[in-house]
Amino acid sequence: MGEGGKRTMAKIILDRLNERFAGGDLLETGSQHGNEWARVAPEAWRAVAEFLRDDPQSRMDMFVDLTCVDRLPRQPRFDVVLHLYSLEKKHRVRLYAGVQDKDPTIASLVPVWPGANWFEREAYDMYGVRFDGHPDLRRILMYPEFQGYPLRKDYPKEKRQPLLRRLPGSV
Amino acid sequence: MAADATSSSLQSEPRRRIVLGEADISDFGEGEGQDLPTEVMPLRMGPSHPAMHGTVRMVLEVEGEKIKTADIQIGYLHRCFEKEAENATWTQIFPYTDRLNYVSPMLNNVGYAIAVEKLMGIDGKIPERAQYIRVIVGEISRITDHLTCLGAGAMELGSFTVFFYLIKSREWLWELLEEVSGARLTHSYVRIGGVVADLPAGWPARLREVLAKARVALADADKLLTRNKIFRDRMDGVGIINRADAAGWGLTGPVARSTGLAYDVRKDHPYLVYDQLDFDVPVGSTGDNFDRYAVRLEEIFQSMRILEQALTKIPDGPVIVDDARVALPAKRETYNTIEAMIAHFKLVMDGLHVPAGEVYSFTEGGNGELGFYIVSNGTGQPWKCRVRPPCFANVAILSKVLPGLFIADVVPTFGMINMIGGECDR
Amino acid sequence: MAIEPPPLPETVTVVIDGQAHNFRKGTNLLEACQSVGAKIPFFCYHPGLSAPAICRQCLVEIKGAPKPVPSCYTTVADKMEVSTNSPKVLDVRRQMLEFTLLNHPIDCPICDKAGECSLQRHYFDWDGKLARNEGDKVRKAKVVDIGKHIVLDQERCILCSRCIRVCDEVAKSPDLTMAYRGSHQILTTAPGQRLDNPYSLNTVDVCPVGALTSKDFRFSRRAWELFSSPSVCPGCATGCNIEVHTSRGTIRRLVPRLNPAVNKYWMCDEGRFEYKAVHENRLLLPMVGGKRAILNQATADAARLLRSGLERAQGSVGVVFSAAATNEDTHALVRLALDGLKIGRVYSGGRPPGWSDAILVSADKNPNTAAVQRMVTGTPRTLIDLASDVASGAVTTLLVLGNETLALAAGKLAALIVLASHKGALVDAAHVVLPVATWAEVDGTFTNKDGRVQRIHPAVPVTGEVVPAWRALSLLGSELGANLAFASAGEVFAEAASRYPFMKEVAWGPPSPPVQLRFGDSRG
Repeated sequence: MGEGGKRTMAKIILDRLNERFAGGDLLETGSQHGNEWARVAPEAWRAVAEFLRDDPQSRMDMFVDLTCVDRLPRQPRFDVVLHLYSLEKKHRVRLYAGVQDKDPTIASLVPVWPGANWFEREAYDMYGVRFDGHPDLRRILMYPEFQGYPLRKDYPKEKRQPLLRRLPGSV
Repeated sequence: MAADATSSSLQSEPRRRIVLGEADISDFGEGEGQDLPTEVMPLRMGPSHPAMHGTVRMVLEVEGEKIKTADIQIGYLHRCFEKEAENATWTQIFPYTDRLNYVSPMLNNVGYAIAVEKLMGIDGKIPERAQYIRVIVGEISRITDHLTCLGAGAMELGSFTVFFYLIKSREWLWELLEEVSGARLTHSYVRIGGVVADLPAGWPARLREVLAKARVALADADKLLTRNKIFRDRMDGVGIINRADAAGWGLTGPVARSTGLAYDVRKDHPYLVYDQLDFDVPVGSTGDNFDRYAVRLEEIFQSMRILEQALTKIPDGPVIVDDARVALPAKRETYNTIEAMIAHFKLVMDGLHVPAGEVYSFTEGGNGELGFYIVSNGTGQPWKCRVRPPCFANVAILSKVLPGLFIADVVPTFGMINMIGGECDR
Repeated sequence: MAIEPPPLPETVTVVIDGQAHNFRKGTNLLEACQSVGAKIPFFCYHPGLSAPAICRQCLVEIKGAPKPVPSCYTTVADKMEVSTNSPKVLDVRRQMLEFTLLNHPIDCPICDKAGECSLQRHYFDWDGKLARNEGDKVRKAKVVDIGKHIVLDQERCILCSRCIRVCDEVAKSPDLTMAYRGSHQILTTAPGQRLDNPYSLNTVDVCPVGALTSKDFRFSRRAWELFSSPSVCPGCATGCNIEVHTSRGTIRRLVPRLNPAVNKYWMCDEGRFEYKAVHENRLLLPMVGGKRAILNQATADAARLLRSGLERAQGSVGVVFSAAATNEDTHALVRLALDGLKIGRVYSGGRPPGWSDAILVSADKNPNTAAVQRMVTGTPRTLIDLASDVASGAVTTLLVLGNETLALAAGKLAALIVLASHKGALVDAAHVVLPVATWAEVDGTFTNKDGRVQRIHPAVPVTGEVVPAWRALSLLGSELGANLAFASAGEVFAEAASRYPFMKEVAWGPPSPPVQLRFGDSRG
C-alpha cells in the first residue's frame, strides 16, 4: 500500500549512521516489518540524536515516541527505544540503547527535542530509568508517593501499595 | 489606595490618593498603580473541574489574571493499559483499546489491529470489504471525536445551543455504530484479520440519511459560531502554537495542522484503502484556537466526503481472513467439526500465535498520529504493547503555551487541544 | 589374517533444510531435527520408549528415498539430506492430521486433555484447514473403566500405542493391546483383564490426547489453570523427580519430570497420591497443653521444658529424627540437639518399609533416610527401642521431629515436644506442639538412596501459622542459647554443605517459582 518506496528511503538513515558512527557506537542495524532500526551504545545516545536531527540527509526533526522495554532476563535489562520521523523526507527510524539493571541512566534528549520531556518522565515513572540532564524528572502518571516501577516485569500486576494517610495540614 | 504603614513595598509618602470604587482605571496616570502590592498566586484547576476535559490538574501561578507558569499534571485516568495488555491474549486487548481515545474507539481498534497484522505478516491479506468497513467506521468515529470537541468547546464559551446541535448529530452516529457493533462507545468491533461481523442490512442507506441530517446541524453550528464576534474574540490569537515548535514537540493531528504543518498519516503514509479515496486535508495558518476549531470543522466535512465515496465503492466479500489460525471459525463449523472446535479452542485459550518481533505501526487517530509499538515474544500474549498517544504530546506543549494567557483563556485553549484522558493517561 | 574394516566415523554430517549439521553417530533423526530447531510434530514417538513409526506424523523427505520417511524410526547417516519444511512435507503432515481427525469426537469442551493436547497443538501449528468430510464418525465405547485409576475413551484414542509400550517396556506388565482393524481399531485389555500395574498412570502422561484419563484428576481442573513447580517425590527413597501442579494454592496432581539418572520419564502410581496428605489432616496452629498458643509462647514453653529436662537428668532426654524431613531440617536438628544440647539418646523415625520392585519403587518409604544416616554420628535407634525406653522410664523428656503415629506411653513422659505437620495420637499427647511445613511448601533438598541430593521447591504457600521445621528449630535454639540463627533454607544448606562430605559438590541452584502451564511450552 505504497510502503515500498518509503522503505528504501529509510535505509539512507542507516547508511548515514554507519558512515558516522561505525566502529564502537553503532552496534547493530536492521529492518523488520518495514521499520528500520539501529542499536547504539548508550554513551552515544545524545550524539546520535543530535546527528540525526541535524544531518541534511536524515533531517529527523519530529520527535515521535520514547519508551522503554524490559527485556528480563536478558542483560542489559532495559532497552530505551526512540522513534523519530522526518517531515521533510517522510522517513522513520527506531533507535535502541541497552541500559543495565543497576541504577539505569541514560542521557536526556530534552535539549535536542523539547517534546522528549514528558515521554522521558513517563519512562522514568514506569521503568525507573533516569535521564541525565532532564530539567524536571518526576513521576507523571503515578502519584508521587508510589513505590516501585510498575511496568517492570518483576512488578506483579496485583501488587498492593501502602495506604497513604493524609496528614493534618497537608494540601 | 490607603497608605498602609505596615507594607514596606509602598512609598512612605503617597503621591496621590485614589479610592477604589470611586475612581476608574482610566484615572491612573502614566506609571501610576505600578507599585500596587501584588503577589503571585498559585491556582489549582482540577482535577475535578467543569471545564477540565477528562481529569487533569493544572497547577498555575497567576499574577492577577495572567498566568506565569503552568504545570499540567496528568495521570488521573491511568488504568494500566500496558500492564493489562501484557497479561491478556491479543484478542482480549481490543476492549482495552476501545477505552483509549474513548470518543473515537473504532480508530483505536483499527490502529491496534493493523499493528498486530503487520507482525503476523497478514496485512496484505485483509479482505477488501473489511478494509472499507474499517475506513467507514473509523471515519464515523473521527467525526464523533470532532463533534464532541467542538460541542464541548463551544459550550464552555457559553454556546449551549451549538453543543446540543452537535451532540444530537453525535447521537445519530452512535446509534449507527450501536447497530453495527452492539455498543455506543465500547465497540470492540475490529478483529485481527478483519472485523467481527458484516454491516447490517440497510445500514449504508441509514448512514447516508444521518450524514444529510448532520450536515444541516453542522451548517447551523457554523452559522452560529464562525463569524460570531464573541466567539472570535475569545478564540482568535489565543493559544498560539508556532509551526517551528510543532515538530520538536511531536505535535500531530488537527493541533499540528492548525499551525500550518500539513502532516496527515492518511495522506502521507496511506493505509487500508485511503489511497483510493479522494479527500483534502485542511491546514491552518496561525495555530491559534480558532484555527484548531476551523480545521476540525472542515475535517468533519472531509470525513463525510470519504464516507460517501467509501459507501459507493465498498465491494462484496468476506469481512475477515479465511484462516482458522487467525479468525474464529463460524459457529456452525465449531459445533460440528473437530477441526473448527480445536481452532476455536486454541484461539481463545492460547491466543493467536504472533511470531516474535517488533513493529511500530501508526494510523491517523482523532488527535493525530496514533502509534502502536508492539513487541511479541512468539506467544499468545504480547511482551509489550505501547500506545503512542497523540494527545500526550499535544498537552505537553501547553506548559509553554499557557504562560502569558489569562485564566479565562485556559478554557478554550484546553478545549481545542482536545485532551482525551483515556488516551493521554492510558 | 583378517582385514580390519575402517573405523566408523563418530560424527556424521547431515543437511537439514539446507543447513549442514554434525551429529553423533546413532542419533535419531527426529531428535536431531528438533535439536537444531526444525520442528516436527509426532504422536507415537516418545524418547523414553521404542519407536514404532505408527502414526506417520513425523514424515520427512530424504533425498534419494522414494517416499517420505518417518524420522522417528530413522538414524542419521552421513551425507543425508533431509527436508522438514518442503511443500510436500507440509502437505503430507497436513494430510496425516486430517486422517487422524477424521473420526475424532468433538470432545474438547469436556475432555481433560484440552489445553495440553498434542492433537490440538499440532493441528493449530501445522494444519489450519477446516474439515472436508461430512457424515457420521465411527462410534466406539466412551467411558470404559479400564483399571483402578484409569478411564478409557476409545473414540478419542488415535491408536498411537504409547500406552501399550509403557506397560510393556516400563511396567513390564503387558496389560493393553489393540483389537480389530481399520477405522474400528480400538485400544483395550484382554477380556477379563484390567490395567492394574503399579505404573498405570504413566499411560495418562504419555497419551497425546484425552483417551486415557486419571480418575483422580479428571474434571478437577483445566490444564491452563495449573501452575507447575519442580520438586521430588517424598514417597520412597528413590526420589523420582516430579512436577507439582497446583491451582489456587492447592495441589491438583503430581506428574513425573525427566531425570535420566533417577527416574527417566516415569514415576509409580503410589507416589502420585502423595499430594493428598499435604492438604488433609494438617496441623496449622501451635499448641501448648492441648490449647492453641502463639508461636513465640509455644517455643518459650518448649525451651523451658527442654532446659528443665536437661538439668534434671542429661541422659534421660531423647531426640527423634525423621527420615521424611529435608536435609535442612535434619541438619538444624543436629545442630540444636546434638551439637547444642548434647543429647545422647538419638532415635530415628519415619514410615515403616513396604513393598519394592526392580523398576522404581524402593522398600524404604521415606525420602531422606540417607541424610539421617550420614548426618547423625553413631547409629540412631529405632522407634521400637524408643517405646521400650519410654515405658521403662529411661527417657523422660522427648523432642520429636515428624508425624510419628507410634503408641507411646506418653503419660510417663515429663515433657513431650513435637514438631509435626499432621495431627495424630502423638500430637494429641504432646505438651508443646509446633506446626511445621510439608515437603510441598518449603525450599530444601532430599537425599535419595544412592546419595544423590536433589532440590525441592515450594509449590503451595503455607497456611495457618506453619513454619519450616528448620525455622522452628532456630527459634527454639535461640531460646535455648544455641547459636542457630538461620535466615533462609539456603543458609542452612550452605552450612550443611560445608560440613558433610556427601553434600559438598551439590549446588543450591536458583529459585524456581511456579510457572503457569498455559502460555509456556504447554505439555502435550
